Amino acid sequence: MTGGAVLQFEWFVDWLRGLPQWVFNIIEVIRGIIYGIYDWLWVVINLLWTLVIDNIFFLFKAVIFPGLIFVVMGLIFFVWFTRKLWGRIQMRRGPMHMGKYGGVQLFADAIKLISKEIIIPDKAHRWAYRFLPSLLLVVVLVPFAFIPWDTVWFIADLSVSLVLVFAFLAAVPVIALLAGWISGSKYSLIGGFRAANNQFAAEIPMIMSSVGPAMLAGSLSIMGIALAQSSVWFIFLLPINFATFLTASIISVGVFPFDAPVADSEIIFGWRTEFSGVYFTLTYFAEFAEQMLYSALMVTFFFGGFYGVPWLPGAVNFIIKFLIMLFVFVTVSSSFHRLRQDQIVRYCWKYLLPLSMLNVIIAMLAIVYVPGLALLLVGG
Amino acid sequence: MTPDILDETVEVWFGPQHVSAHGWATKLKLVGDFIVECDPHAGYFHRSAEKCLEYRNFRQGSPILERLCMLEAFLAEYPYISAVEQIAGLVVPERAKVLRTIMMEASRIHSYQFWWGQLSAEMGFFAMTLWPWVDREFFLDTFEELTGVRHSPHFSTPGGLRFDFTEKVLAKLEKAIQVLEYNMPKFEDMLMKSPLFRMRTEGVGQYSAKEALRWGLSGPNIKACGIPMDLRKDQPDPNLAYDMVDWEVPILEHPDHPGESDAYDRMVQRFNEVKTSVDIIKQLIPQIPDGPIIDPKARAKANRLPEGEAYGRVEGARGITSLWLKTLEKAQTPYRAKIRGPCFHSYYALKHLVPSARFADFIVIFGSLDPYPGWWDR
Amino acid sequence: MDAAGIVRTFTTKFPDIDVKTINEHHIEFTVGKDIIRDVITLVDETFPEVIPESAFGVDLGDDKYQVNYMFWSHKDRMIIQLKVNLEGSNPSLPACCDIFSGLEWHERETHEMFGIMFTGHPDLRPLLLPDELVGKYPMRKSFQTDRSRQAETGLPVRKPRPEGGAKK
Repeated sequence: MTGGAVLQFEWFVDWLRGLPQWVFNIIEVIRGIIYGIYDWLWVVINLLWTLVIDNIFFLFKAVIFPGLIFVVMGLIFFVWFTRKLWGRIQMRRGPMHMGKYGGVQLFADAIKLISKEIIIPDKAHRWAYRFLPSLLLVVVLVPFAFIPWDTVWFIADLSVSLVLVFAFLAAVPVIALLAGWISGSKYSLIGGFRAANNQFAAEIPMIMSSVGPAMLAGSLSIMGIALAQSSVWFIFLLPINFATFLTASIISVGVFPFDAPVADSEIIFGWRTEFSGVYFTLTYFAEFAEQMLYSALMVTFFFGGFYGVPWLPGAVNFIIKFLIMLFVFVTVSSSFHRLRQDQIVRYCWKYLLPLSMLNVIIAMLAIVYVPGLALLLVGG
Repeated sequence: MTPDILDETVEVWFGPQHVSAHGWATKLKLVGDFIVECDPHAGYFHRSAEKCLEYRNFRQGSPILERLCMLEAFLAEYPYISAVEQIAGLVVPERAKVLRTIMMEASRIHSYQFWWGQLSAEMGFFAMTLWPWVDREFFLDTFEELTGVRHSPHFSTPGGLRFDFTEKVLAKLEKAIQVLEYNMPKFEDMLMKSPLFRMRTEGVGQYSAKEALRWGLSGPNIKACGIPMDLRKDQPDPNLAYDMVDWEVPILEHPDHPGESDAYDRMVQRFNEVKTSVDIIKQLIPQIPDGPIIDPKARAKANRLPEGEAYGRVEGARGITSLWLKTLEKAQTPYRAKIRGPCFHSYYALKHLVPSARFADFIVIFGSLDPYPGWWDR
Repeated sequence: MDAAGIVRTFTTKFPDIDVKTINEHHIEFTVGKDIIRDVITLVDETFPEVIPESAFGVDLGDDKYQVNYMFWSHKDRMIIQLKVNLEGSNPSLPACCDIFSGLEWHERETHEMFGIMFTGHPDLRPLLLPDELVGKYPMRKSFQTDRSRQAETGLPVRKPRPEGGAKK
């Protein structure tokens, strides 16, 4: 009986004797883990830092100058510019009271819109309702990476960036259609269908019109097209192509003469009807960003991109022409009556499409049969 | 969504929260882009004006009518005053007659100026909306100088006027007409010659004179069909001064579709109406006689009316505006007053006019008839 | 056609209607409700350019009602007023909106305001009134205007309405 007790006791003593070692082992393991994490972090941070140091210029471009912050500040300026110009055309003053010449009006509006209550309709698909406006803005902002603001100041250049940009832009009406669909309102649905119909009508003439510059430049890269205009701008070689591209881009954005998808007197705000608060702000900005994108593309395709006044930096040249294009965009979009949806489609397919195809053919023949053209383009 | 969507009708409520539907609602049934059925709903503005008139005495009644259509307030108040004057046997002084006529025509011009802008806004050209509204301000200034308010002037009263013209009012009125005449050719160019405007309006909302008569349309809507139906000429009112003026009823005979009118014709017709009104005002201003603007006994006579029935009518900016008044012996208030608003019929006409139109054209058809919700809801 | 000619046309066809020429632009016929449709058809046939200007009810008190039809003939410059006298708490007369479709809403309004039944009318839904007033016929003289909101305020009612509405 005592022997059993001793046995139990001995086991306990053994256990006690082993305890410090056990605790020590645990501490060792934990220390190993911590050191491991520390070493790993050190390596990663070192690696990242080397990456940043090596790519600091690229990062600066992507985030600050021709990148995100520049584009968003430009967007804010453009909204102010549009409202001011519209006000002037309509014999009003436009934004007046917030800041000098109403300059901070947009920040006030943005704060107001963002702080508003978000009302999601009962029949809406909640997840998509929250997700789609952000997706729309991202899809519209990403192609700005391929805009060649200067020979140095550009973010990315692919050999097929033209195709990529149009691929991104083709997603916009799909998002509009989805937004109309998931809003759970008939007006939104009609607006979504109209947006899809607009793109259906305008996209083919638009892409056809961009074929001309691409052929003359011999490149599908936007940078390549801009570089090819060192001696002569394509507007002088392809004026009709510019007209078709401008018209098709206005239709594609869906601003005033062709704003059937968001016609406020017919279908309230089309596919944007049910968006409230910050979601409306995002879709609203996306439309303006799209106008800016098309203006930048037009400057690149037809107005020589960063070429212009020789002693100015390329980016300044680009931005001057960019502002002029924005002015044209806003003026055109505030001085016509709205067309009906069927009239838009008829107009596109009856006039825009044949014209742009004709231009492609003319450009092809010119490249083959006009011997001086190639030299002119190369810069000789 | 099933593939056979075109076989299914979609029911859409146009209003009352719609941006363009300010105080009215229409139930539309769509098949694809086409409207197959239209059911206009009234009553969102109903303020029981007829019942209210039964509780007001004869000098308090006309402001209620002005509220029905603020754009043509000088015209809208007149049927009631005319009916009271007929029953009371009041004779209006010469000066009051001429001033009344001038202000009624100014009100008509002001109403059409508003309408040009409204129709353009419904077609998405907002700059063209605000340009006529800038000129309209000059007329509003005139009203303000004359009566102290820009809307709801309460200008006429049984037996005469409440406010007299001064030199300042005349100067402002002449200024307003000068601005109008300077700018109107530009607006005509902007609208009538604009290909986009023609694309949107030509052939839209087309009806024949016969249909329009059946629906009870009047005013510019029927004059655009070529029928010179105009109360100013047809039924000369002894208390108005249209007989002092040499003028013709403006009508429109379209060469392609005589006897029919579409939205474009009605727009052209309203420009012609403005030209006629300007002509009338210009002829009347030199003819303003001196004298009192109200019969001194009119107030006492309008206090208690004898038994009678009268039908006061005026050619409003939107059509025949009339009021049927019945009084009992020694009445202080009307026994029954029935207001006939012109837009009661043009809003009803949508029911027949809209089916088979495109959805986007609905608001153009509505706008081209120039309806004002106050007139049908009362 | 002048006023006398119009009166002759109507009295030869319908000898039992009362005629009152108010002035050279306004004739008033008092018509029985059984022949109102025939008279309106005659109006349609006689005048080439006539518009249905108005139709409305009048409460004459003691369950007597009157329905007035107004037509404006532009070519003859003549207002044709047709008066139909009705009796009973829920009077009825045949609807005429299939002859002149512009009368449809006027009849609808008269129905909801006075409770006058237009038999054969295709659509007698309430036009102007909200749901809580349907069937109360507010344009009748017996309808008391609502003062319930004033009771909520607790203020004294300054001028109580006399019995029988605004007649007295």
